[in-house]
Amino acid sequence: MLKFHSVSKRFDDGTQALSELNLEIPKGQFCVLLGPSGAGKSTLLYMTNGLVTSTTGQVEIGGKMLNRANIKSIRRTVGMVHQQFNLTPRLSVAMNVLSGALPFVSYLRAAAMWYPLALRERACALLAEVGLAPEHLSRRVAELSGGQQQRVGIARAFMLEPQVLLADEPVASLDPKVSRDIMALLRDEAKRRGTTVVCSLHQPELAVEFADRIIALKAGKLVFDGTPEQLVAAGLDGIYQHDAPKPAPTHHAPHVAPQMLEALA
Amino acid sequence: MKSSLPPLSKDWQLTPPWTAKHLLMGIALLALLAFTGSRLEMPRMFKEIGEALGYSVGLTEKSPVADGLARIGNSLFPIRIAEVTEVSRIENFDRNKLPLFARIEVQETKTARLNTETLQMEMGVEEKEMLVEPFGYIKTVLVKMGETLEIALWATVLSILLSIPLAYYAASNYSPNKLTYFMSRSSISLLRSVPELITALFLVLAFGFGPIAGVLALALHAAGFLGKFYAEDIENADRKPQQSLEAIGAGKLKTLWYGVLPQVMPQYVAYNLYILDRNVRMATVIGLVGAGGIGQELKGRFDMFHFGHVGTILVVIFITVLLLDQFSARTRKKLL
Repeated sequence: MLKFHSVSKRFDDGTQALSELNLEIPKGQFCVLLGPSGAGKSTLLYMTNGLVTSTTGQVEIGGKMLNRANIKSIRRTVGMVHQQFNLTPRLSVAMNVLSGALPFVSYLRAAAMWYPLALRERACALLAEVGLAPEHLSRRVAELSGGQQQRVGIARAFMLEPQVLLADEPVASLDPKVSRDIMALLRDEAKRRGTTVVCSLHQPELAVEFADRIIALKAGKLVFDGTPEQLVAAGLDGIYQHDAPKPAPTHHAPHVAPQMLEALA
Repeated sequence: MKSSLPPLSKDWQLTPPWTAKHLLMGIALLALLAFTGSRLEMPRMFKEIGEALGYSVGLTEKSPVADGLARIGNSLFPIRIAEVTEVSRIENFDRNKLPLFARIEVQETKTARLNTETLQMEMGVEEKEMLVEPFGYIKTVLVKMGETLEIALWATVLSILLSIPLAYYAASNYSPNKLTYFMSRSSISLLRSVPELITALFLVLAFGFGPIAGVLALALHAAGFLGKFYAEDIENADRKPQQSLEAIGAGKLKTLWYGVLPQVMPQYVAYNLYILDRNVRMATVIGLVGAGGIGQELKGRFDMFHFGHVGTILVVIFITVLLLDQFSARTRKKLL
C-alpha cells in the first residue's frame, strides 16, 4: 500500500533528517512512529504527501510512484491530522470539516461556501461519529476545547475517504485522558474504513496500546520495527537513550504508564 | 537589605536596557530637529503662537496671528443657512406653488439714478421681490455632500475590487513567480505614490468635469493602499490552516479563501472602513479641481468671497466626518 524505497532527506542547512529508509506498510495497518525530537518522524510523514520532497529514493502509494505530475491527485487520497489541529479558527466547525472536501468542489461552490447535499450530509455524519453535537455545527472552531478541535480535525481528514491517513503527533497538545480518547477515535475510524494510518507519537504507552505496528526512528535511521509486544520486550533505551554515558532525564518519563514501566524493569 | 538567597557568581550581571548608542542616537535626532526647525522657521511659529495665546488672555498688546484668525472667524460666522433669490430671475416662477418653508419678501433698495431731464442724480427706491428659503442653502450643501458620499462609496468599492488581484499577486507566498510579484508590487507603489489631487487633475482633462474623474482618482490611489495592506496580511497569516489545505491538494485559490481570508477578514474590514473615511475626506478636496461633489461648491464660494457659505460647507463636512467615524467604529465592533 505505502512503500518507501530507500528515501533520504537532507535539508538545505545540512541536516540529515532521513537516510536510506526502506519501509512497507500494508493496507489497513495502524502504524505508529516513535523516536526523539528530530529523529525524522515528521519528515517521513510530510514526504508521504509531498509536502517535503525526498533528496533520494521514492515514495509509492497504492502502486503509484509519487512525482510532480501526480502529486495533486495523490494528495487527494492522503488525509492528514496535525499536532496543532491546523483548523481555521474563525470559520465554523461545519465549514472546517467541509473544507476537507475542497479538491472535489467547484470554485463557485467553494467561494459561495455552499456544498453539494451529499457532502453536507457526510460532514454532519462524520461530526456525529467523532462525538460532536448539532449545536457545534455553526460554532467557531476557536471556541472549542483542544480535544474537540482535534475531533473536528479528524472529521475533516475523513471527508476525502483517504486511503492513507497521516497523523503528525495528533495528541501532543492534549491532556492524557483526552489523548487516549482521541487515539481510540482515530483507530476506530481508521479500522472501520480500512484506512492505512501512519501516526507519529511522543507517548510510547499510547503507541503500545493502540498500534498494530511500531516503527522507531533515531537520527533518521530505523532502530525498531515490530509489534507493541516486541517493543515492550525490547525496551525503550535503544530509541530514546542519548549516546552520552549518563542518560539525561527525558520529558517523556512522566507520560509512561505504570504497567509500561513495570514491563521495562 | 540582607538577602536570604545564596550569593551568585560574578557572571550574573544586569545591565541597563539602554546603552551609549541610544544616547547618541537621541542627540543626533535632536540635532536634526534643530537644523530642520531653523530652516522651516519653527522658532517664529512658536513665538507667534505664544503671542496669540497671550493676546487671547490679555497678556500681549497685539498679535497679527490672532487678528488674522479673528477676521477669518468673523467672516465664516454666522454660517449661511437660508437662500435668497430674486424672483424675477427664477424661470417659470409659480407664486402659488412655493417650495417648503419658503416665503416671498419685498426688499427695498436705494439706488442713485440719473434724471435725464434735470441731469441730476436722484435717489430712488426700487422694490424687489425676493424668494426666501430659510433652509435653502443648507439643502444645497446637503445634496452636494450626498454626491460626495456617493463618490466616496463608489471609489471605495472600485478600489477594493482593483486591489484584490493586486494583493494576490503581491503576496510573496501566493504570487505565481518573481515577475508577477515584482510587477504587482511596483504598480501598487506607483498607485500610492501619485497624489489623488494630481490624478484627479489629469482625469478631469480626460473625462471632463464631474464625478467620474473624482471616483477614479480616489479609487486608484486607495487601491495602492489596500493592495499593500491586503498583501501583507496574506503573507503574515498563520501558516497552519493553509498547510493543512495544501496537504490535501486544495489548490491556491481555495486555500486562500478557506485558510487565509477568514483569518484576515477583521483586518480587511478595518482597512476598508478607513479607506471609506479617507475617501469621504479626500472627495471634498478633489472637488476643488472640478471632480464633482461638495469641493466644487466650496471652491466656487471661496473664490466669490462668500465666506458665510464656506462656513456652512465646513460645518457640514465636519459633522459628516464625525458621523462616519461613529458609524465605522460601530461596524468594526460588530464584525470582529
